[in-house]
Amino acid sequence: MTKQHPVPPAWADRLVTWFCPNYLQEELLGDLHEQFDLHVEEVGEPKARRLYVREVLKFCRPYFLKRRVSALTQPATNIASFNKDRYTYTQPDSRPTFFLSPDMLLNYIKIALRTLWKSKGYAAINVVGLSVAFVVCIFLFLRSYLHLTYDNFHQDDDRIFQTYFFSNDPEKALRSGNMPLPLTPALKADYPELEAAARILTGRKSLVEVKGKYFDKLVLQTDQDFLKIFSFPLIKGNREIALRNLSSVIISENMAKTAFGTEDPMGKTLQIGSESHKKQYIVTGIISDAPDNSSIQYDILVRIENSYSYQQDKDNWSAQSHTVFVKLPPHVDQATFENRLKPFAQKYFKGNLDELKKKGAKPDQHGDLFAVRLQNLSRVHFDRDIAGRGGTPIAIVYTLMGIAFFILLIACINFINLSIARSFTRAREVGVRKALGALKNQLFVQIWGESTLICLVGFLVGVLLTYLLLPLFNATFDGRVKFAQMLQPGFIGVILIVFVLVTFVAGGYPAWQMAKFNAVEVLKGKLSIKRPGAIRNSLIVTQFIMSSLLACCTIIASQQLNFLRTRPLGFQKEQVISIPVGNQVNGRQALGRLRNTLANDPSILSISGTGINLGRGKDRVSSRSSIGFTYKGRKVSSDLLLIDFDYLKTLKIKPIAGRDFDRTYATDSVKRVIITASMAKMMGESNPVGMLLGDDADSSNTKSQIIGVVPDFHLYSLADEVKPITMYLSNTESIQYIFVRVTPQSLAGTMDKLKEVWKGVAPQSEFLGTFLDENVDAWYQNEEQLSRICSLASSIAILLSCLGLFAVAMMIIEQRTKEIGIRKVMGASIVSIIINLSQDFVKLVIIALVIALPVAWFLMKTWLDSYVEHIALSVWVFAGVGLAAILVALATVSFQTIKAALVNPVKSLRSE
Amino acid sequence: MGRAYLGEFEELVLLTVAVLEGGAYGVTIVAELKQRTDRTISLSGVHIALYRLEEKGFVRSELGGATAARGGRRKRLFVITALGKRTLGDMREVRNQLWDSIPNPHLIVSHD
Repeated sequence: MTKQHPVPPAWADRLVTWFCPNYLQEELLGDLHEQFDLHVEEVGEPKARRLYVREVLKFCRPYFLKRRVSALTQPATNIASFNKDRYTYTQPDSRPTFFLSPDMLLNYIKIALRTLWKSKGYAAINVVGLSVAFVVCIFLFLRSYLHLTYDNFHQDDDRIFQTYFFSNDPEKALRSGNMPLPLTPALKADYPELEAAARILTGRKSLVEVKGKYFDKLVLQTDQDFLKIFSFPLIKGNREIALRNLSSVIISENMAKTAFGTEDPMGKTLQIGSESHKKQYIVTGIISDAPDNSSIQYDILVRIENSYSYQQDKDNWSAQSHTVFVKLPPHVDQATFENRLKPFAQKYFKGNLDELKKKGAKPDQHGDLFAVRLQNLSRVHFDRDIAGRGGTPIAIVYTLMGIAFFILLIACINFINLSIARSFTRAREVGVRKALGALKNQLFVQIWGESTLICLVGFLVGVLLTYLLLPLFNATFDGRVKFAQMLQPGFIGVILIVFVLVTFVAGGYPAWQMAKFNAVEVLKGKLSIKRPGAIRNSLIVTQFIMSSLLACCTIIASQQLNFLRTRPLGFQKEQVISIPVGNQVNGRQALGRLRNTLANDPSILSISGTGINLGRGKDRVSSRSSIGFTYKGRKVSSDLLLIDFDYLKTLKIKPIAGRDFDRTYATDSVKRVIITASMAKMMGESNPVGMLLGDDADSSNTKSQIIGVVPDFHLYSLADEVKPITMYLSNTESIQYIFVRVTPQSLAGTMDKLKEVWKGVAPQSEFLGTFLDENVDAWYQNEEQLSRICSLASSIAILLSCLGLFAVAMMIIEQRTKEIGIRKVMGASIVSIIINLSQDFVKLVIIALVIALPVAWFLMKTWLDSYVEHIALSVWVFAGVGLAAILVALATVSFQTIKAALVNPVKSLRSE
Repeated sequence: MGRAYLGEFEELVLLTVAVLEGGAYGVTIVAELKQRTDRTISLSGVHIALYRLEEKGFVRSELGGATAARGGRRKRLFVITALGKRTLGDMREVRNQLWDSIPNPHLIVSHD
C-alpha cells in the first residue's frame, strides 16, 4: 500500500457501537464507512470526517437507542401474511445493560425518589450533615490553601532564599532573620557566583505626597536586585534600570490608581517622608500589587540607601535591621552554599564566635557555633523565627486541614451508619430484585447511585452556603479567602476528588453490603437485624474519639489564651489610652500641645510619649528596636525603647533602684538610661545605678549613665520571653505613640474628649486612640482567631456526631419497637427499658473517651510546652469533657428511647 | 385504519428501493434520493424508514455483498415486496384520481 487509506474517526465508530443494537451494527457501520469513502473522493478527507461525525450524531435518536425488538431477525419469507405475531422478543445481548437500559434507569430514579421521600428525616439529616461538613471543609481548605501557596508564584522560587543567623547558644539555639546592612555587599563581594542579593527593609507606613495630596503608604526599601530575585510583574518601566537611581521609585498598581488616577505616573514626581527628612522621587516603574499570599508586601519600592539610618549603620555589623534575600545560581544547592558560607561567618562574626565560646557553647551537628544559613522562600512563611509575626507555623495549617478531614470523616461515618441502619428496612426490596434476576453489580450501582444523589445535593447546598457565608467568614476570621480561589483548576480537582471519595466510601460500602444480601434469607425474613454490627459501633466510637479530642484541645487552648491575656505584664494596662501619632504631624509637637491643652484636666492623670506601642493598636503596626554590644567583656543585647517624661508614671511602673527621668535634671534627655532588672542581670551588675552603659571599644565620652532600674515588663507578647530593656529620652527621635492615663471614672467620656482635642492638635490625621488592654488583647489575635476557628469547628464536629447518633438511635429503636412492646407486656418498667436502650450507646462513648483522653493529654502537653509561660493541665478539663460527652450522648438518645418506652405495646405489637 | 399508512419520506424511500431493483441499501438510496430530490438526506433517516417499511412488510431484506470499501462489512439489501408494490400502486391511483378531479381551469368562462 503506497498511501494510507483515509479512515473515519475511531471515537465516532465507538459511539455507534455503544448506542446501536448489536444486530444493526454491521450494516450501519458498513454504510457509514462506504459513504465516508464516497465523501472522501467528492469533497476531500477533512470535510468527509466532519460529515461522518455529523452523520453519526444523527444516528443518536431514540429509534436506535431504544430499539431492542428486532423485526429483522425473522426471515421475511411470508410477507403477504404480515401480522403482528412476527415480532419476537429477543434477549438483547450478553453485555451488562444497566447503563443502557433507559427503562430500568427510569425505574431506579423513581425508586430512589420514592424511598428518599418516604424517609425524609433520613435524607434531611444526611443532607444537613454533609453540607455542613462540606462548608467547613471548603473554608478550612481555602484558608490552608492560602498559606500553603505562600510565595509560590515566583519564578525559580526554589533558588530564592532568605538568609538567617544561627547561633548555638548553650541555653537555646537561636535563629534570627534580621541582618546588618554591610552583610549584603560583603556577600556579593565574597561570592560573585550569587545571582542576586537584595536587602529588604519595610518599616511603618510613610507619608507620601503627590501633587499636594497626602497618602499613608507602605514603603519597601530595597536593592536593585529585588527585581532580579522576585518576579512581581512590572507593568510599566524597565526591570533592569527601574531602581538604578537613588531617586527612582516604583509604585504599585493600586498606588498608581489612588494617587494618580487615570494619569500616567511614569516620570512624575512624589515626595516621601515628613518635614525633617523629606525626599523627592521620580516614578520609574509600576509594579503589580503583591498578592495576598506574598510575604513581601509593598505600595512603593525605593532604594535602601534612602533609609533613615543608612549612612550611620552602613558599616555597622551589630545593627540588625532588615531581611536579606539571595538567589543561588542553578546547580548550586542550599547545603553546598551553606558550607561555602562557613568561612564568611568566621571572617565577619569573630566577635559572636568568641562570645559563644566564652559562654561554653558547643558546635551543632553541622560543626557550627555561629553561621549564616539559608531558608528557602517557600518555607519562610512557616518559619516564625525568621518571618516574624506574619509567619504561620506549618503545624497550624496542618491542624486546620486535620480538623477539616476529621469533620468530613465524621459526616461520612454518619452517612455510612445511617445507610447501614436503613439497609435492613430495605432488605425486602433488595431480596425481591434479586429474586427477579437483578445482578449484584446492578444492585450495587442502584443503591450507591441513591447515596450519590444525597451526596450531590449535600455538596451543592454546601457550595451555595460557602458562597453565602464567605463574607462573614472573612470578616470574622480575617480569612482573606476569595470565592475565585475555589474556581481554580487545582482546587476544583481536589474538591472533586474529595467528593468522589466521599461518595465511594460513604455510599459505596453500605451499597456493597446490601448488594451482598442473600435473597432467599431476606425473603424468608431470616436476615438478622439484631446484631448491632461491629463496624457501626467502631464508627460511632471513632466519631466520639474525634469530637472529644477536639473538645479537649479547644478548651485547653482557650484556657492557655486566657491565661496569657490575664498575666501581669509588669505594667498597668487599664485606664491607659494609646494614640498612634501617624505620620502627618510631628509626634513630639503633638505631645507638647496635648500636654498643654490637658494640663488642668482633672480626668487626665498623666501623659507620656514613646517610640513603640504596647500591644497592637488600630494602626496595626508593631516595631522593635534592639542594640547589642560588648560590656566588660560580656556580649549584651537589649531592646531599646524611646520614652518621654512620665512614661513610668503613666504605666505605673515603680523603680526598684534609682529614679525616673525628671524634668528638673537638665541632662536627663542626653545619655541617661533606665534599664530593667534582667538587663542589670545580663550586665552582671547587682547595683548598676550610676554606671556607664556602652560598648567596651567605645572610648569616646558617649556612654550612657544608668539612672534607674525597674522591674521587668512585657514590651511584647507573652509568647516571647521577656527581654532586657533599655529606656532612653531623646530630643530628636520621633515619638510615635502618646499614652494618656485617665481616671477610672467616665473612661469612655475621656476617649471622646481626647478625640475632640486631637482634632485641634492634628487636624489632618485620624484619631486612632485605643485602650491599652484592647491593644494587649490584639497581641493574641492570631491565637484567638485560631482558637475561634477550632472551637467553632469542634462544636460542629460534636453536633455532627450527635446528629449521627440521634439518627442511628432512631433507626435502631424503630427496629426494636416490637421487642420493647414485648418487654412491656411482660412487665418491664419504663425506666428499665430506657436504661436498657441507652446503655449500648453510653458504653460506646465510654470506650471512645478511654482512647481519646490520654491522646488529648499528650497532645496538649506537647503544645503547652512550646510556650514559655503556660498553664498546668487540669484533670477537671478531661473529666468535664468526658462527663459532657456522656451526657450529650444520653440526651441525644434519650429523646428516642423515652418515646419508644412510652409507646403503648398494643400499638407496636399490632402490625402486619 | 384499514391500510398501512405510508409517510411522504417513506414513500420516497420505497419508490427508490423499487427503482434500484436489487441494489438498494443505505448508501445507494441516499445517493439516488439526493440526486433526484436535491435535498439533504441522512443515512440514519433512510435506515429508520427502511426498518419501518420492513416492519410494515413493504420491503424485505437480507444480508449480503461485503465489499472492501465497507471494511469487510456486509450490507443489508432491500427488495420491494408484493405488498409494497401494491400499496404504491394504490397510492398512485388515489393520487391520479385526485389529480383528475381538479376542475379544469380553462373551462371556466367568465362573463362580464
